[in-house]
Amino acid sequence: MVTGKINHTEILSVAEAGLSKTKQIYQDRTRRVKELKAEGKKVIGYLDIYPVLEMLTALDLVPYRILGDMREPITKADTCLPTVVCPFLRSVMDLGLKGKYNFLDGVVMAHGCEVSEKTAHIWRTYLNPSYAHFIDTPHTTHAAAQRQHKELLKDFKRTLESFTGKELSIEKLKEAIKIHNEQRALVRELYDLKKPDPPLISGVETLQVMVALASLPVAEGNELLRQVISEVKQRKDGPAKKPARLLVWGSIIDDIALIDMMESIGADVVMDDTVLGSRAYFSPVALTADPLDGLAHRYLVELKSPRTFRETVLSETKRKDYMTDLENRFGYLKDYAREWKVNGVILQALRYCDIHGYEVPGLKDYLASIGLPSIYLEHDYSEAALAQLRTRVQAFLEVIS
Amino acid sequence: MKSRNPLYFAGIDLGSTMTKVVIIDEGEVIRARVESHTGAEHRRLANKVMEQALEQANLPFAEITYVVATGYGRINVPFADSQITELTCHARGVSSLFPSVRTALDIGGQDAKGLKIRDGKLIDFVMNDKCAAGTGRFLEVIAKALGLRLEELGSISLKSTNKVNISNTCTIFAQQEVVSRLSDGVPLEDVVAGLHEAIASRTVGMLKRLKIEPDVVFTGGVAKNSGVVKAVRENLGSEILVPDDPLISGALGAALLGKELTLKALEKGESVQKKERRLTEVTFFNQES
Repeated sequence: MVTGKINHTEILSVAEAGLSKTKQIYQDRTRRVKELKAEGKKVIGYLDIYPVLEMLTALDLVPYRILGDMREPITKADTCLPTVVCPFLRSVMDLGLKGKYNFLDGVVMAHGCEVSEKTAHIWRTYLNPSYAHFIDTPHTTHAAAQRQHKELLKDFKRTLESFTGKELSIEKLKEAIKIHNEQRALVRELYDLKKPDPPLISGVETLQVMVALASLPVAEGNELLRQVISEVKQRKDGPAKKPARLLVWGSIIDDIALIDMMESIGADVVMDDTVLGSRAYFSPVALTADPLDGLAHRYLVELKSPRTFRETVLSETKRKDYMTDLENRFGYLKDYAREWKVNGVILQALRYCDIHGYEVPGLKDYLASIGLPSIYLEHDYSEAALAQLRTRVQAFLEVIS
Repeated sequence: MKSRNPLYFAGIDLGSTMTKVVIIDEGEVIRARVESHTGAEHRRLANKVMEQALEQANLPFAEITYVVATGYGRINVPFADSQITELTCHARGVSSLFPSVRTALDIGGQDAKGLKIRDGKLIDFVMNDKCAAGTGRFLEVIAKALGLRLEELGSISLKSTNKVNISNTCTIFAQQEVVSRLSDGVPLEDVVAGLHEAIASRTVGMLKRLKIEPDVVFTGGVAKNSGVVKAVRENLGSEILVPDDPLISGALGAALLGKELTLKALEKGESVQKKERRLTEVTFFNQES
């Protein structure tokens, strides 16, 4: 690229390798978007994995994922959210009230779970952003729900067009889908590097990459992924071989502390099923004639999250038996375990995360039925409880090794 | 094997309330057992507890082939060769005391654990370490509120003919409830029996998540309380086994696991001690090197 302007990304890529750049972004998430704002770009915050990011990218808006901060005590959020709800969302609201997200030009949130719906509306009331959109994402995948979801995405498109004063053309949307799909494919490629034993990239490093991707425009994220993948393939000082290869399932993990604890006591976290990991990236968007069809389908049907109810298909006996139901809901985890050679599963949920908590008994039964040991951890989204969690994880590793 | 020096193994269990040390010889005979209050300050002085045990066993520290630290204070013990969680150690210790054990309940000062054991090995567990209710701390707080010694609670409750229902599971609110029951004129023994019932139903409820199989063994400091033992037995609806000294199973298990690790290393011709040991004060939990 030959232009008169200095390209910041290019300078960074020369001076720093992918992983160290990733670490820097992880430590200071806002640095890049603040630069982009100075260049006149608009930054839209989004919560969870249900806002359709392709529409933001297509309109040259920068998507920026709203995350919590488990190292920051919650002091303001209790004025507007009960203490007995998801501590991640309480942290998110707390950071919002403390002005940490004031740089955003707008927000888009969705009906991920009940508390995220409340958070979306409380955020709008208390923080009054100049653009705020709520996608009332359905919780089932029936045909009617899919039609409804497409209509909801049309609404989203209209409010974005009115906010930007630009028309969102089909061509632009298709281009955006391609570049987001490229990111999804690159994330898959990154996760493939976790299949060897020892993995070429650690769980902590992977999470840092994921947080960095959630803090950059998609094209820059893709560039970063390419750098990380090439660096990781070449380096000689990757993670050591450890006795346990774990899959971590459950609520959002947006801080390295928990994974770091596991990797410091004899485990490699080689696979995950969380919303800042494979769950957010593994399903691509089908390129349909009307791009909204592919988007509506992907963001409702393809995303595998327990927040969406999936009616179990009838078995041959015409009965909805328990094991068939479990196979339908969790069969993909069996594939992950096989491909990533997992020998133990950590089921973790934030306290009061009903969405994940209700899945645990069935999921434990399913994992037991396929011979995979698992342990369930409930935690408070704080560093304070790590010592106790460490005892549980260490005992689990002693059991499986 | 015969020509070498005799081997000794020590286990130290740094619990929230009590620090326990057990020293065994190759034949798994207990040469020393010491129990001492951990306390806020004394945890640092775990080396003193080890010294007492060495004195009891009449051995210098250098003669101890391998030391395993366990319990919540296990992380930074400068005189331990390795650390193993209290869950694995308890399972091993309880199995050596009762080889027929399949399920174990351990209620300590600050947590309660349920263990599923198969062939002497831990296969699954549940744990409550978030809340004082259902632990020894609960009984300590209540005994203090009633002006009783902890050791008296068991025998007092056994006199009860009509135990009350303590509806609050929170230690602080249960304390208020106890006071209000007493002021209503409920006899002391019925109130204390009600407290034991509250602990037992809570911990047995937790244990049931493991699908309880006999034999069931009850250990930990709270197993010294005959009132709680009775209430646990009633809640389970089956017999439970309680060791003579319910405090030492973790330290004993640690010593036994130390022996296993040593014998494995010797078989492979590897050196047993992999790092330098210093019989000095324990550093604090999060200052790990």
